Amino acid sequence: MEMNNRLTKLVFNILSIMLALLFIFPLVWMIVSAMKPEAAIFNDMGTLNSFLPSQHISDWFQSYKTIFDRFDIIRYLGNSILYASAVTIGSILINASAGYAFATIDFKFKKVLFGLMIALLVIPAETIMITKFVVVQRLNLINTPFAVILPLLSTPLYIYMFTVFFRAVSKEIQEAAMIEGANKLDIFLKVMLPMSKPAIATVGTLSFIMSWNDYIWPLMVITNSDRYPLQVAITNINNTEPVYINQIMAILTISTIPLIIIYVFFQKYLVQGMGASGTGEK
Amino acid sequence: MEINATARKKQLKENISGYLFLSPAFIILGLFLFIPTLMSIYYSLTDYYMLTPDKTSFIGLDNFKKLFNDPLMRQSILNIFKFVILIMPIQVGTALGLALLVNNQEKHTIIYKIAYFSPVVMSLVVVSILWLYLLNPSSGLINQVLMKMGFESQPFLSSPNQAMITIVFVSAWQGAGYQMLIFLAGLQNIPNEVYEAATIDGANRWEKFSKITLPMLKPTSILILTTTLIDAFKLIIQPMVMTQGGPLNSTLTPAYYIYRTGFTDRFVGYASAMTVIYGAIIISFTVIQRKIVGGDGDE
Repeated sequence: MEMNNRLTKLVFNILSIMLALLFIFPLVWMIVSAMKPEAAIFNDMGTLNSFLPSQHISDWFQSYKTIFDRFDIIRYLGNSILYASAVTIGSILINASAGYAFATIDFKFKKVLFGLMIALLVIPAETIMITKFVVVQRLNLINTPFAVILPLLSTPLYIYMFTVFFRAVSKEIQEAAMIEGANKLDIFLKVMLPMSKPAIATVGTLSFIMSWNDYIWPLMVITNSDRYPLQVAITNINNTEPVYINQIMAILTISTIPLIIIYVFFQKYLVQGMGASGTGEK
Repeated sequence: MEINATARKKQLKENISGYLFLSPAFIILGLFLFIPTLMSIYYSLTDYYMLTPDKTSFIGLDNFKKLFNDPLMRQSILNIFKFVILIMPIQVGTALGLALLVNNQEKHTIIYKIAYFSPVVMSLVVVSILWLYLLNPSSGLINQVLMKMGFESQPFLSSPNQAMITIVFVSAWQGAGYQMLIFLAGLQNIPNEVYEAATIDGANRWEKFSKITLPMLKPTSILILTTTLIDAFKLIIQPMVMTQGGPLNSTLTPAYYIYRTGFTDRFVGYASAMTVIYGAIIISFTVIQRKIVGGDGDE
């Protein structure tokens, strides 16, 4: 029995380690391949050296330097940061405001509008992108940052999450604020929002990631390469001769770093978000 | 009378503030979700061509008739069903397996978690390009390792037989870590006393797993299975970046075909008909999901 137990434990440990290697090796290969000369990537291919950077520290940032010289990476990064920040802040304010209305205000047709919003929840945004494009075209927004930002500012799921969250805030706190002469906007901005940090963190993180990773929509609505977000720029760079693996891996790494930071700090809100919503759109 | 007027005034104020708080969200949802949906339904009955919108005419169900005889549409639907059927057990099974492994580890759990979760931090574009290089038939790392181990090198994405299954594995590899975290949260909700009681009753490892763990994970599993299903139907970035739908259309998916028809070729009318049919398929799966998971909507 004791022997048997130790054997299973050993098998589980070996399995865990092998799976860990299987899951992490592409990320490691991506990072270290950016840190060596192109010839070394091919020389090392298939040996353990594929997973080690160049022995000379002077090689480590060479491919980064070259790719920054060849392409306007700073601009693409700036575009992505602009789009993602605008989406994050806008999505928190707009969805929280709608959630606040649904949770605390008794207006006419509330049930109908809430039902409509829940119905919109099932429409797969990916399939209506052609007519969405026609709308943006008619609004004369093609090739503007608004075309990338506006459609991401409201999501039925996030309104729903804020509604659920605000319903749980006690009525007494709101009434106390009301007696002190605060109006609804004051209560929303100064009482409700500061109390809803977990919901804000969840919606903010999901919105940031959604915008940062957005690819097909910006590819459609942005025609001027100066306004490309990073994801679109990456596929463009990958199709621009001459293509060097170390430079491509450098740009892939640059695109991934902000997400690593976000996941490190906000991971717990992401899981909560999916569990609480019960619908779990990524 | 006096009281009634005050109450009405108060209600009016409530209405106005309600609509004001709601309006930004509803303008956005209206413009970019509701109106495009209605437009898709309307345009599906027309021959709208993006470059000559003024010459649009009503053509009834012609787009739908054409659609049912379109070999590429049929191929793309077959492709997506292949993808969905393969990725469901592979990704969800992997996620559950990883969660169980992590849950049973006593030491270094954080290191395993980080390793399994690491693919999630990359965007789908990054993942697709990265694997494009790893899977290169001649110089890619995977084939170099296979050949060192004495296997033949594989064409992967450049073979009509292997391309879709390769995309399944890359997608499952990318998505499993996130679902592992949700399974882990589910596992940690199972009270320890249940296992202790079972140990006293003489249950072995397998009995504990099949009689306690699995049944108690049922809500989590249903949630994960259904979201995987619906997400899988939307597959587009991986084939777009890795294979452009090839070779021989073996990785062309409906979402990608809609994009090509409506955006690249500008046949908005025909693409809208595809949107209506394919959207209806996804929506029906979503509605079934909501029925199974339950408890959504207004109470």
